Amino acid sequence: MQRIKKAHTLFLAFIVGAILVLGGCSSSSSDSSEESDGSKVIKFMHIWPPGSSKTQNQIVESVVEKYESDNPGVKVQVEYLENEQYKDKIKVLSSSNELPDVGVTWAAGYLKPFVEGDLIADLTDVLAKDNLKDQFVGGTTEAYAFDGKTYGLPIELNIAPVYYNKEIFEQNGLEVPTSYAEFVDVVKTLKAGGVTPIALGNKEGWTGSLWYMYLADRIGGSTLISEAIAQEVSFENPALEQAAADFKELAELGAFSKGTNGLSNDEAKVEFLNETAAMYLMGSWELPNFTTSDETTQEFKDKIGYFNFPNYESNAGEAESWIGGPGVGLFVSENSKVKDESKEFIRYFIEEWGKQSFTKAGVIPATKVDTSSLDLPQMNIDVLDDLNKAKNITLFADVQMPASAAEVHYNLLQSLVSGEITPADFTKQTEESLKSAK
Amino acid sequence: MEILDEKLNMPEAIVKKASERSLIHRIGKAALYAVLIVIALIQLFPIYWLALFSLKNNYEIFNLSPLALPQELRFENYIKVWTEGNIATYFFNSIFYTVSAVFLTILLGSMITFAITRLQWRGNKIVLGLFMLGLMIPIHSTLIPLFNTYTAIGLINHPLSLILSYTAFNMPVTIMILLGFYEALPHEIEEAAIIDGASIHQIFFRITLPMTAPVIATAAIINMIYNWNEFVFVNTFISSDELKTLTVGIQNFIGQYSTDWGAIGATLMFSIIPILIIFLILSDRIVEGIAAGSIKG
Amino acid sequence: MNRLKASKLDILIYVGPALVLLLGIVYIPILQTGYFGLMEWNGIGQKTFVGLENYFVLLQDTKFWSSAYHSLILAVASIISLVFYLAIAVILASRIKGANLLRKIYLIPMLLASVAIAQLWMKIYNPTNGMLNIFLMKIGFENPPAWLGDANLALYAIILPTIWQYAGFYILIYYAALKNVPESLVEAARIDGASSLQIATKIKLPLIMNVVKVTIVLAAVGSLKYFDLIYIMTGGGPSGSSEVMASYMYNTAFNKFDFGYGSAIGFFLLIICLVATFIIQRLTISDKDLY
Repeated sequence: MQRIKKAHTLFLAFIVGAILVLGGCSSSSSDSSEESDGSKVIKFMHIWPPGSSKTQNQIVESVVEKYESDNPGVKVQVEYLENEQYKDKIKVLSSSNELPDVGVTWAAGYLKPFVEGDLIADLTDVLAKDNLKDQFVGGTTEAYAFDGKTYGLPIELNIAPVYYNKEIFEQNGLEVPTSYAEFVDVVKTLKAGGVTPIALGNKEGWTGSLWYMYLADRIGGSTLISEAIAQEVSFENPALEQAAADFKELAELGAFSKGTNGLSNDEAKVEFLNETAAMYLMGSWELPNFTTSDETTQEFKDKIGYFNFPNYESNAGEAESWIGGPGVGLFVSENSKVKDESKEFIRYFIEEWGKQSFTKAGVIPATKVDTSSLDLPQMNIDVLDDLNKAKNITLFADVQMPASAAEVHYNLLQSLVSGEITPADFTKQTEESLKSAK
Repeated sequence: MEILDEKLNMPEAIVKKASERSLIHRIGKAALYAVLIVIALIQLFPIYWLALFSLKNNYEIFNLSPLALPQELRFENYIKVWTEGNIATYFFNSIFYTVSAVFLTILLGSMITFAITRLQWRGNKIVLGLFMLGLMIPIHSTLIPLFNTYTAIGLINHPLSLILSYTAFNMPVTIMILLGFYEALPHEIEEAAIIDGASIHQIFFRITLPMTAPVIATAAIINMIYNWNEFVFVNTFISSDELKTLTVGIQNFIGQYSTDWGAIGATLMFSIIPILIIFLILSDRIVEGIAAGSIKG
Repeated sequence: MNRLKASKLDILIYVGPALVLLLGIVYIPILQTGYFGLMEWNGIGQKTFVGLENYFVLLQDTKFWSSAYHSLILAVASIISLVFYLAIAVILASRIKGANLLRKIYLIPMLLASVAIAQLWMKIYNPTNGMLNIFLMKIGFENPPAWLGDANLALYAIILPTIWQYAGFYILIYYAALKNVPESLVEAARIDGASSLQIATKIKLPLIMNVVKVTIVLAAVGSLKYFDLIYIMTGGGPSGSSEVMASYMYNTAFNKFDFGYGSAIGFFLLIICLVATFIIQRLTISDKDLY
């Protein structure tokens, strides 16, 4: 009998415990936009965990601290998730109309459904106030604009250079190519020399897309690919097909890492870092690896240079168009109960981020940076200069495309590499996916 | 010892026959052990690999062979993991959610399995069918509706949202595991208890639960592993850092453009140690339970 | 079979809590998902009722059916692997020396989180410096395959870690069931001169048949809705060659923002599991069984 009593007591204790926990929630839950003491709360979700993105996380902390001390009575509640989990959670939150007051967003294609669903606040007034717009690099806020209204403020700006290993180039008697034909020769020579010409992890798709975008840009001119993605012209265009054919040819030449379709970007990057691959096309966010990071040696850093993807024709001069664009930006939720405070918070954020992100985290902000007063590695300054004098920056395909079309685009690039489809299939199926996503 | 025991139990004729076969028997046994040991090494390899992984940096992780030692053992990964972020809090939360959910799942699962296999009532087949069907529901397709439900009843960002979800989603598999055991349990003891005037509750708590200790240990191990490593629900339902679990600690080291794999390895090592200890303890219960239990013929 | 008489209140106490949790947390959401499947919805804006259109599209969606085929292959492989696990469990449960230690070692991999297992196998399969290819090159293969990067191999390459991941789970269940076989029956058989093999196949196996049947259902259903390692290791690629039903559903709902269609896939997946379970039951469970 003793045991039954014990079991019953245990069960009872459990239920009581459950009720207590349940009851406790009403006091501890901070689900509302007002704290018990009447102060307002801004919920801010971001993608910089302290472990992997210490400096960004610290910038956030410093912005929050500054904002809270300047605005007594308003508290900022911060939640962070890593990139992919963040996107998933935003998805769930938006389906339930529970977006945070301020959050991180990506440009164009990613942002569009949120804007169409009336979940995101118009920030045009924020840009107009005190001429904030002038602080941004030209063309960056446009990627977040729909019908003349701006729904997000960019905080990052990137271009994608081809990083290359000068020593490997020298050993193979190579120079930076100035035309696509020369580029193909470089690839062939490297391959013959037993070096992987290009480190590419095409599992994630967007990595291969960088190569395709450059080819499309160089063959079809700087506006064609964007027009095709926007469906102003058909994607089934000879230039875009030629770009697919060239991408396929590169794969057939063995230009890319072995098994590229199954490699993550992290895995492929290491081939470049350990000098078994000669080139690596990636965003300028990789710069710290070649300049300031302590994960790589100075000896290695000295060997690394970069060039812009060459023009297609040999007589076209230096290429001045880049693939890149603003990375992440910030949004304010349309249904936020603290919309004004949130907009003010964004202003604080943009300003502080602009001051600190490049020097501290190596992230190029979308606001203008004065390099003359900064003590930076030469490569960082060069990239920044290139960025400022760029004639055109074509947005990353995955940023331009609607999410569903981007998924198809990635799959098709993998199929091009594995030889399952022809360049004509590629443009045809891309066109179909863009049409149906419209 | 074992062979001696066996011989003592055997009639003469069999002993003779056995000795004729003994050479083949021995070779067979040696081969069997060889195979078993190879499998054991394969099964131990992941832990060894993870330990090495946790002592490397990104470059070494992707560049060196998985079995190669790093140039220097980077214990700083562990220091980094321990000092950056709320590992201690995550740790406690993981334990709290796991223990609560396992306890609740086993108790409720045992009760309902008892009712399905032992009690007389209509509808038991339907209820069992419902639970079996529950096995088939993919977690990801319930995420958005479940989030809505928890938001509506104020359980978002609350430990109960996790404990209840773990309990509900693990209930079907728990019942499946218990079921096979309950069906094999002899009815005689219960019948005798009824004659002695015991109530249903007395039978369940005093006789059935203790008798099913081994299978409870099995089910507890499985539940524990599922809950301990779960992260989809944590990410979706929990927003404050103080309520997150160790699996979130892993995410702490995934950045926007790069990932600190060595630190992830160290977090994984931190997270596997407690579960390994509990596993070793519980796993002995699978056997002990039999010795202590009263199931005979 | 004599069942105990119990009052309605007692039944309610024993059945109620678990059933309420199941209905509230598992069933109501999945029914809502089925309902979302009737909508055209990107998960953000307005829902538009489209009736069964998503389901009709699904029936003609070749990508879905190829993912269903991949799931089926995984399910068959998982069920076949059970034989192997059962054999190991039988050996561990017999009275060989060191069984207790071996059993613990064998179960250890199941403690690992999916992210760890995925990393491990990605290192094994890496085309240039993976363990597998280094080994193959050492024994003379000049150009070993790219495994996860090869559309013809990715699915099969990924089945192996998936099956291996669950080895501990099934060995544990079989082991516990075998240990539950009354020692007296085994003793009696031994005295009658039965060999270890005979004891295992003639006495132990029939007694744990119920458990085996349950694990067949678990393996089939678990495989049909399987997601974790595939999503981490290949994301369903290259070019959809390792896409399974659950990863297709996830990609559709979360990466392509097509929540209506994703919900329809999720609900349909449930129906497929149901049919599979029905078939397995018909094949394995005889009339005299309880259910």
